[in-house]
Amino acid sequence: MSAAHNNFDLMAPPVAKTIRQRSLLVGAVFSVVAGMIAWKWPDQFFHAYLISYMDWLGIALGSMAILMLRHLTGGGWGMVIRRILGAAMRTLPLLALLFLPILFGIPRLYIWARPLDSIQDKLLREHLEQITKTYLTTNGFIVRAVIYFAIWGAVAFFLTKWSAEQDHPPIRDNSSRFKALSGPGLILYGFTISFAAIDWVMSIDPGWISTIYGLLHLAGQVLSAICFAVVVERILVRYKPMSELLQPDFVHDHGKLMLTFIMVWAYFSFSQWLIIWAGNLPEEITWYMKRLNGGWGYVGLFLVLFHFAVPFVLLLSRAFKRDVTRLVWLAVWLLVAHYVDLFWMIEPNFSKTFTVTLADLVIPFAMGGLWMSYFFRNLNAMPLVPAYDADAKQVLEPAHE
Amino acid sequence: MDEQTKSVTSSKQAPVIEPGYTFATVTDKISAIVLQRPTSNGWFVGFGIGFLLTMMMLFAIGYLFVRGTGIWGVTIPIGWGFAIVNFVWWIGIGHAGTLISAILLLLRQSWRNSINRFAEAMTLFAVSCAGIFPLIHVGRPWLAYWLFPYPNTMGVWPQFRSPLVWDVFAVSTYFTISLLFWFIGLIPDLATLRDRSDNRWAKIIYGILAMGWRGSARHWHRYETAYLLLAGLATPLVLSVHTVVSFDFAVGIVPGWHTTIFPPYFVAGAIYSGFAMVLMLAIPIRKLYGLEDFITERHLENSAKVMLATGLIVAYGYVIEAFMGWYSGNRYDAFTLWNRLHGPYAFFYYMLLACNIVIPQVLWSKKLRTSPVWLFFISGVVLVGMWLERFIIVVVSLQRDFLNSSWGMYYPTRWDWMTYIGTIGMFLAAIFLFVRILPMISIFEMRTLLPEAEVKE
Amino acid sequence: MKRTPVYGLMAEFDSATALVAAAHRTREAGYKKMDAYSPFPVEGLAEAVGFHHDEVPLVVLTGGLIGCLAGYGMQYWISAISYPLNIGGKPYHSWPAFIVVTFEMTILFAGIAAVFGMLALNGLPMPNHPVFNVPRFALATKDRFFLIVFSSDPKYDAAATRQFLESLGPRSLSEVPG
Repeated sequence: MSAAHNNFDLMAPPVAKTIRQRSLLVGAVFSVVAGMIAWKWPDQFFHAYLISYMDWLGIALGSMAILMLRHLTGGGWGMVIRRILGAAMRTLPLLALLFLPILFGIPRLYIWARPLDSIQDKLLREHLEQITKTYLTTNGFIVRAVIYFAIWGAVAFFLTKWSAEQDHPPIRDNSSRFKALSGPGLILYGFTISFAAIDWVMSIDPGWISTIYGLLHLAGQVLSAICFAVVVERILVRYKPMSELLQPDFVHDHGKLMLTFIMVWAYFSFSQWLIIWAGNLPEEITWYMKRLNGGWGYVGLFLVLFHFAVPFVLLLSRAFKRDVTRLVWLAVWLLVAHYVDLFWMIEPNFSKTFTVTLADLVIPFAMGGLWMSYFFRNLNAMPLVPAYDADAKQVLEPAHE
Repeated sequence: MDEQTKSVTSSKQAPVIEPGYTFATVTDKISAIVLQRPTSNGWFVGFGIGFLLTMMMLFAIGYLFVRGTGIWGVTIPIGWGFAIVNFVWWIGIGHAGTLISAILLLLRQSWRNSINRFAEAMTLFAVSCAGIFPLIHVGRPWLAYWLFPYPNTMGVWPQFRSPLVWDVFAVSTYFTISLLFWFIGLIPDLATLRDRSDNRWAKIIYGILAMGWRGSARHWHRYETAYLLLAGLATPLVLSVHTVVSFDFAVGIVPGWHTTIFPPYFVAGAIYSGFAMVLMLAIPIRKLYGLEDFITERHLENSAKVMLATGLIVAYGYVIEAFMGWYSGNRYDAFTLWNRLHGPYAFFYYMLLACNIVIPQVLWSKKLRTSPVWLFFISGVVLVGMWLERFIIVVVSLQRDFLNSSWGMYYPTRWDWMTYIGTIGMFLAAIFLFVRILPMISIFEMRTLLPEAEVKE
Repeated sequence: MKRTPVYGLMAEFDSATALVAAAHRTREAGYKKMDAYSPFPVEGLAEAVGFHHDEVPLVVLTGGLIGCLAGYGMQYWISAISYPLNIGGKPYHSWPAFIVVTFEMTILFAGIAAVFGMLALNGLPMPNHPVFNVPRFALATKDRFFLIVFSSDPKYDAAATRQFLESLGPRSLSEVPG
């Protein structure tokens, strides 16, 4: 490793600090409003809180997954956004903290945590009488959440620790350790996010199951993570060092990744829909009945068009994928669409007709402001590229490519 | 291109092509297998065995046509016996070829260049074997064309809400596109054989097939565009095929079939068994034809890694399915789980878990991943495991459904076995023919892997 | 004898790099009608011989759109108009069920368009071609690289072009009979 890397500073530009402060301001202001909502309309608060929480958590965990994917496959596309993904992943402590309010909302969110006598549906009551003794218990819910966060935290910890070592002249080559962790790490992520999605979202409707459900969340998380990375790289590319690091080929790969995960998301969603639609069993199709009636159908149609069809067509264009200034708009759009997707999955459990509450508008910004502020703090903490990684020359020495 | 050459020259892993080759030696070495090398006795023995087994299959099918499907073990409630088990198994095996050709091409995994040709051939032969089963399972195979929508005097049309009709479209599209993909991949190599063959007839036949390919820069440009686009089309296609196969089951409401994880889980299982078959073929072939320089340890290891990854997705499927069976509180789902674990076919279920989940975990060891003998053995285990999986899905789910008055057992007959083993023979015979008459490694794509292929400014 | 007895002049090179460089210099020298032949796709060679417009993607897109519309249209017409059947109480026009075949038909038509479109645009099959008259051209599918300047080029002149191509340092130079 030569002095070539020190030709320019690899730290994030000052703009990161500005955004960090402004995000904190936004987060704080909206948090105050959110607090008032929690006091006035606690139900609405918790519904919106869960949706928003799954959204921001998804970016952090999806970033972790892409990071591990990069460690396994290599490539300049991943190196150039590696520290962006890392910074998003390192928001997990904040997300663990933000999980705590959900614990206070358990009875408001989950029917299984309320007295079962009030349930009209006899079959559901019988089922819940069984399952609330074994699996769907408040203690079990908390213990499992601790396990999920412990696993995510451990993976994130080691990925960060070894990555930080690569900012200095190497003691040893870490790439094999990254590989050794990332394989099992991805499997652990697959399992934990599935069970977390079952616990936190699917169990809102405890009579309904879908075995693909975990993968559906997984696809959405990875998609929103890559979109988020594109947004951040767009902000940074106006300044050094990103302006010298980001090549159109890398942006192209990020665009391809977006396209891939849009298709994966659509594939999982359509498979689930087709199988349930064709089977038409009362315990399954009701999930879709809730989400296709009372105005919710338009939200579903919106998702088909704007979470899949339009982005898909746009991303077929090679020129579009290579131009980060255009790609970023789609990335922002998909982040919004993913929020709508979670909204469509969660909110119809509580509301028969399509309604958007004040909480739904305020809490994403409250949480997002805090999250973004923490993200940019993380981004400032480490250089944007680990200069002493064996693969770093893929982005640091583009002339030799 | 940059990444490709780099991965050849500088890498900690084994190289994708051993150093020291030139355009000429790569061409000579691969084309000599077809053009110069005398046909060995081993080839005749191998082909002969495959051929005899094919004859056995034709005999079994001939007898089936005379007597009808009653000679098989299928009865009510298990109307989908070996025919569907083997169909799904073979289709699954066929997936690796397109995956290697198309998906790895899009991912710029240049190591694929030395195994894609015969993996694609394997796909075609596996899909052909698969296609036989539904065809003879329909009972009156001479009317199988009724499956396609064509104007007819009866005024009837296929029923497009049935996954079985989707399957007709999916499998025939898959076969067509795989054939086209394989063929356009062959064109430049056929031109090489045309120009290098001494035998007049071989020259004419290869010449006709090469269609006058002359390697013009304009042609190459369009060729590469078409090849890449075809890869882009084949990728969702290959995923859709096993997805549609999974719909054959999942769209029905039989417990054990009706579950939403089936599409990705079937696709992963298909790739899993497909790579197992690629390894089972590649390991002996590279040895027999001395191709260790082109199909290196790196290929074996990467294939093993794909197997490990897809095997774990399959394991994920088992876990989620079992968990949901319990969590849902649905008594039929719960019973399906119980029946798998304790029913009359429980032995096969444990075998399946051992073959698909437990034993392949040894692939975490790099030593075993690079050992041809071990890989050959583990691939065999996986192929058995994946066959058992389809057996469990088809037979055990149908065996005991909602009403115990309609429970039953399934016992395959010798005709079932003869047909099944016969298709394996047909597959082998086709592979033997292929390695004898066509270049089993893509010559022109191997040339692009050489460092001298890079244009220097 | 035909009107143009000579099809062109062909120079043989040892490497892809030499061929690309030679193609660039030939273009810079003012030749328009030329082609290059290589045993594998060489990056930048098509641009060097003046090929810029690749119509294959458009053909594939057209094929895909036709397949998509034909697939859905066929199912709609059959299931809702020509032969309506009540299957499990599902509507005649069951769009979720029609997606699969629509998708397969899109891929099928697009794939066929890709292969046959590419062949047609390349003018293949063309069993014989003047370049095959040069015996050394058989090496174009092995390890040699060829550049041809067609005699139809306005700047083509038997002696001058030969002199120019020789200045590029080819391994051999042959006249391609027409």
